[in-house]
Amino acid sequence: MKTSSTAANRRRRYWNWRRRLTPYLFLAPNLLIFVTFIIWPAIRGIYISFFDSIDGITFTYVGTGNYKAIFNDPTVASIAKNTATYVVFYMFFSTLLALVFALVLNEQRFLRGFFRAIIFLPVMLSPVVVGLIWNDVLDRKVGPLNTFLEALGGGSPGWLVEPPLGMLAAVFVGIWVHLGFYTIILLAGLQGIDRSLFEAAAIDGATRWQINKLIILPLLKPTTLIIVILSTIHGFQSFDFIYTLTGGGPLGATTLIVQYIYERAFQIPIQYGLGSAAGVILFLIIFAFTALNFVMGRKRDAV
Amino acid sequence: MRSKVESQQKSSWTSISNRKAPSPSVILRTSLLLTLTFVVLAPVTWFVLSSFKDLTDLSARPPKLFPTAWQFSNYTEAFKMYDYKKYFFNSVFVTVVATMLTLLINSMAAFAFAKYNFRGRDGLFVLTLAMIMIPLQVILIPIYLVVSSLGLVNTYWGMIIPAAATPTGVFVIRQYMLTIPDELIESARMDGAGEFRIYARIMLPLAKPALAVIAIFSILWRWNDFLWPLLIAQDERLYTLPVALALLNGQLVVPYNIVLAMSVMSIIPVLFIFVFMQRQIIQGIAHTGLK
Repeated sequence: MKTSSTAANRRRRYWNWRRRLTPYLFLAPNLLIFVTFIIWPAIRGIYISFFDSIDGITFTYVGTGNYKAIFNDPTVASIAKNTATYVVFYMFFSTLLALVFALVLNEQRFLRGFFRAIIFLPVMLSPVVVGLIWNDVLDRKVGPLNTFLEALGGGSPGWLVEPPLGMLAAVFVGIWVHLGFYTIILLAGLQGIDRSLFEAAAIDGATRWQINKLIILPLLKPTTLIIVILSTIHGFQSFDFIYTLTGGGPLGATTLIVQYIYERAFQIPIQYGLGSAAGVILFLIIFAFTALNFVMGRKRDAV
Repeated sequence: MRSKVESQQKSSWTSISNRKAPSPSVILRTSLLLTLTFVVLAPVTWFVLSSFKDLTDLSARPPKLFPTAWQFSNYTEAFKMYDYKKYFFNSVFVTVVATMLTLLINSMAAFAFAKYNFRGRDGLFVLTLAMIMIPLQVILIPIYLVVSSLGLVNTYWGMIIPAAATPTGVFVIRQYMLTIPDELIESARMDGAGEFRIYARIMLPLAKPALAVIAIFSILWRWNDFLWPLLIAQDERLYTLPVALALLNGQLVVPYNIVLAMSVMSIIPVLFIFVFMQRQIIQGIAHTGLK
C-alpha cells in the first residue's frame, strides 16, 4: 500500500514539475535569441565603448576616450549636425503632411481606398530600391525632374551633387517612404473620434476649418504626439535608402549616425570602440523617445 | 454676404453628410490627392520604364520617357548574368524560413504569456516588449562581434535566427490568444492532451488571424531588410536582393540597365502582396502601430 502511494506521489510531483516547467519551455527559444542577440550585445557594446580596437580581437582600455573623441572630433561633429538637421526636418514635415493627408483622406469619399493605397505604396517598397529610384529621378543631367525644370527655365540644380540639396533630397525621400505609415496611424486616430461631435458642431454652424482646428486637432493631439515621437526615432535610425540615394554624400552631407557606426566596423579607419560609443549615445536618444512614446501611449489609452 | 455664409454652411455639411460638394474645399482636397498620386506614381513609373531602356537611351539628353526600343533583354540578361538567380533564391529562402521560424517561436512565447501563470511572467513580458527599445542600429558593432564569434557570419542561419524573435510578433499573437477561452484548454487537458498538443492543435488554428498578420509583416520585413543581411552576408554567394542591388549599383561592373531590371523584379513580389493583402496590412498598422 505504502509503496503504491509514494509512487503516485512521485508521479504527481513529476507532473506538477512538468506542468510548471512548460511555460518556460515555450518561452525558451524566443528568450534565448533575445539574450544572445540583443541583451548580450547591448551589454557588450557598453563595455567595448570604453576600449579601442581595430580588429575586434585585441582591446585597449581608453576609459571615456571614445566619448570624448565623439564630442571633440570635427568629423563626428558634422555627423551629429547632419543627423540633427535630418531628424528635425524629417520629423516636422512628416508630421505636418501626415496630418494634412489624414484629414483629407478622412473627408474623401470618392476613390478613398485608392488614395489610401497610393499614399501607403512607398512604405511597402524596398528602401534600397527607393534610393535607386530617386537617384535616377534626381540625376542632374539625365533625370526627369531637371529636364522638367529646364523646360520651365529653372536651371538644373545638382540635387545629389551639392551638399545642402543632398540633405534636402534625403529628407524628401525619407518622408516619401514613410508618410503613408504615419498617415494610416493618424487616420485610425481620426476614425476613433466620435462623429456626432462634428455633426453637432456643423449644425451649430461651424465651418470646416473651425471643426478641424477646434475639434479634430485637439482630439487628435495624443496621436499626433505619437507620430512626432515615432518619426523622430525613425529619423535617427535612417540608413538604408540614403545608402543608395546619396551614399552619404555629397561630401558627407547626408552621412548620418547609423552609417557612421556601420563604417566604424567595415571601413577604414576601423574603430570598434568608437562605433560602439556612438551606438550607446544613439541608444540613449532612442531610449528617451521610446520611453516618452510609452508614457504617451498610456495616456492615450486612458483617454 | 449672404451667399458666402450659405456656401460656408454648405461646405461644413458636405464634410459630414456627403452631399453635393461646393467647390473650394473639394478643389483643394482633390488637388492635394492628385499631387500626392503624381509624386508617388511618377518616379516609380519612370523607373519601370527606364528598366526597359538600353544604355544609350539611359544617357540620352534630354531623357526619353519611353524606350526607343523596348529592351526586354534587360530582364533576361539579368537572369543570365550576375548570379541574379542566386540572390533571388537567397532572398526567398531567408524570407520563407525566417518567417516560419518567427511564427513558430513567437506563437510559442505568446501562448506561454497568454495562457499560463508562472513566476516571472510579467517581468519576462515587459522584458520582451523592452526589446523594441534596442534596435539593431544601436548595437551594430557588438552584435556583429557576437555573431562572428559564434561563427554565424556568412551563413544562412546568421541571417535567419537573430532577427526571428520579434517583440511585436509576440505581443500581437498574445493579445489575440487572450481572447481564446481557457475552457477549450481545460477540456483538452481533461481529455489527456499534452501541453504541446494543446498549443499545436488548439491554439495555433484558432490564432490564425493573428498569425496571418505577423506572417505578412515578417515577409515584408525580411524581403526588404538591408542592414542585417549587409552585416552578415560578406560573401557574394549569400547576398540577398537588397544587398546585391546596393553593392552592385556602386560598382561599374554591372551595366545600369541590368541593375534597373533587377530592382524592378525585386519589388514585384511585394506589390503582389500589397494588392492582395492591403486591408490586413493597413489594419495591422492602424490597430497595433506595427512596422
